[in-house]
Amino acid sequence: MATYIIRRLLGLIPTLFVITVIVFILMHLMPGNAFLALTQNPHIKDAAEVIKRKEAEAGLNLPLWQQYVNWVVNLLHGNLGTSYQYDEPVARLIGFSLPNTLTLAITAEIIVLLAGIPMGLLQASRVNKAFDVSTSFFAVLLYSIPSFVFALFLIYIFSFTLNWLPSFGTVTPAVPWSGDLGDRISHLILPALALALPSIAFYSRLTRGNTLQVIVQDFVRTARSKGLRDSRVLFRHVLRNAIIPIITQFGFDIGGLFSGAVLIEEIFTWPGMGELTVSANLNRDYPVILATTLIFAVTVLIGNLVADILLAIADPRIRYN
Amino acid sequence: MAEPLLKVRNLRTYFISKNSTVKAVDGVDFEVYPGKVLGIVGESGSGKSMTSLSVMRLVPGPQGKIVEGEILLEGQDLLQLSERAMRDVRGNRIGMIFQEPMSALNPVLKIGEQIGEVLVRHRKVTKAQAKKQAVALLRSVGFPRAEQIVDEYPHQLSGGMRQRAMIAMAMACEPSLLIADEPTTALDVTIQAQVLDLMRSLKEQNGTAILLITHDLGVVAQMADDVVVMYGGQVVEAASADEIFDHPLHPYTQALMASIPVIEEERERLQAIPGTVPSAADFPSGCRFAPRCALAEERCHEQMPELREISLAHAVRCLVVQGKTDRRENAT
Repeated sequence: MATYIIRRLLGLIPTLFVITVIVFILMHLMPGNAFLALTQNPHIKDAAEVIKRKEAEAGLNLPLWQQYVNWVVNLLHGNLGTSYQYDEPVARLIGFSLPNTLTLAITAEIIVLLAGIPMGLLQASRVNKAFDVSTSFFAVLLYSIPSFVFALFLIYIFSFTLNWLPSFGTVTPAVPWSGDLGDRISHLILPALALALPSIAFYSRLTRGNTLQVIVQDFVRTARSKGLRDSRVLFRHVLRNAIIPIITQFGFDIGGLFSGAVLIEEIFTWPGMGELTVSANLNRDYPVILATTLIFAVTVLIGNLVADILLAIADPRIRYN
Repeated sequence: MAEPLLKVRNLRTYFISKNSTVKAVDGVDFEVYPGKVLGIVGESGSGKSMTSLSVMRLVPGPQGKIVEGEILLEGQDLLQLSERAMRDVRGNRIGMIFQEPMSALNPVLKIGEQIGEVLVRHRKVTKAQAKKQAVALLRSVGFPRAEQIVDEYPHQLSGGMRQRAMIAMAMACEPSLLIADEPTTALDVTIQAQVLDLMRSLKEQNGTAILLITHDLGVVAQMADDVVVMYGGQVVEAASADEIFDHPLHPYTQALMASIPVIEEERERLQAIPGTVPSAADFPSGCRFAPRCALAEERCHEQMPELREISLAHAVRCLVVQGKTDRRENAT
């Protein structure tokens, strides 16, 4: 297993190479650059000169391949570069944004698993009864609506109309209790819920379907023939099998949820990776674009690896060599 | 003769849906005696498996339903028990083994746990004790490295080993009745013999009665004391094993016997029974075997024959055969 993981991690390198090269090219194909905006600044008289100097400092006058090599060399030295728009080390910007995104994504994942799996089990155990049919209808409805639409609905209902929960930021500024746990949680609820709702629906469908597939299998009849109680049959024999594809899906979703947070963060002005990425792209902040892309790519790839590892743990029939 | 351990009376198990009623088991009677083997023989679709699942009350719902009958285990009607009380019977007083040992074992649980959980459930032992007993059980069904096997998963065992593990599981609580639904069908011939030997020795050691469901007359010949032949959800012939093999009376039983290849004889082709088993949703109105029967007369297509004892402990459901014996009796 250990050698398998090491081999898989080494296998990430060529993938990351290809991804970063593509991003590098696309990024430079976007019109304009970060410094052209300086021409619009009335305080700068010799804008053309300043832009030229800035471009030279950033190495933008070098051939593209040279710029890429420089970036990789710096990366290997642990240096992600300096943001053009904030004039701050990229590592510091990410150090601030990444924890916020992780908080949001992990909270959403927990909500998804705690709500989606039990919901699917309940539906499967009442298959085609009123409860199953009605909640399944809702699940399909929720799954069909993108999370940013939920975000708007949630803001309209819980912030705008009821005024129960804040709709932007991570803390309430200028109050004595600013930043304490309750304050942070109240800011987290709406974005996490918006992010989680379509996934709750998806996981409940997945759990329901898998459970129904497992429940008709011979070994479930064997378990009943042993006189086991329904709860043991359901949780130990059925769920233990039905959970396997769900665990795999969970691994794949780690990366997806991360990037799914981008839009949600924009809507809730949540200062995370999403916000950082969007503003970096709008402002042609090349070092930040590259760093955030790298992080998104690594999360997706690591998520896939985690999915494979979890699968091997959950299913004894699977062995990697 | 001793009191029967299991007595099934007029058992009817139907699958009822909006458009049709499938009479999978349609008025079946039989007895299983302590320490004896009753073989239930029949083609696929004859209702033999549904009969065995009915005894366990594991007929797949919600369509499948036992609509009538009595299933008396040591005089107690299992059909009158609550589901809760029935769970105390399953795995405890009746053990069951299934046809496909691969799919009948849970692929993601260790063998030891699957055997042990029966003991935890019925014998109220701890998990550690259950594991210890699982090792002993595995050894008793012939596993040399039982200590390792308890920690292995079903896919790590061969087909014969899996079936022996199933048997260990079914026998864990020393049930008085073992139901074996096609226990050897999925196994190689050499392994079949091992598994049958094992079942026979367990029967002799523990005095367990066995209800053996099979379509394999060879297995019946080796194992059974008594035989019930099923066709179209009904018993068509019932007698001791010796009697059935020496004097099969029902045309269906005779046709089954004729379809077994005999090594000494040279035959061009095996005798097959023409036609197929009628669908249980659409039985013919008279004798259910009549459309395929070589002896069928006109009345066979109209009148449903009764299962009647025509000589000592030999019952048959056939108008033609019954007619012959009646005439003989009248003549004497």
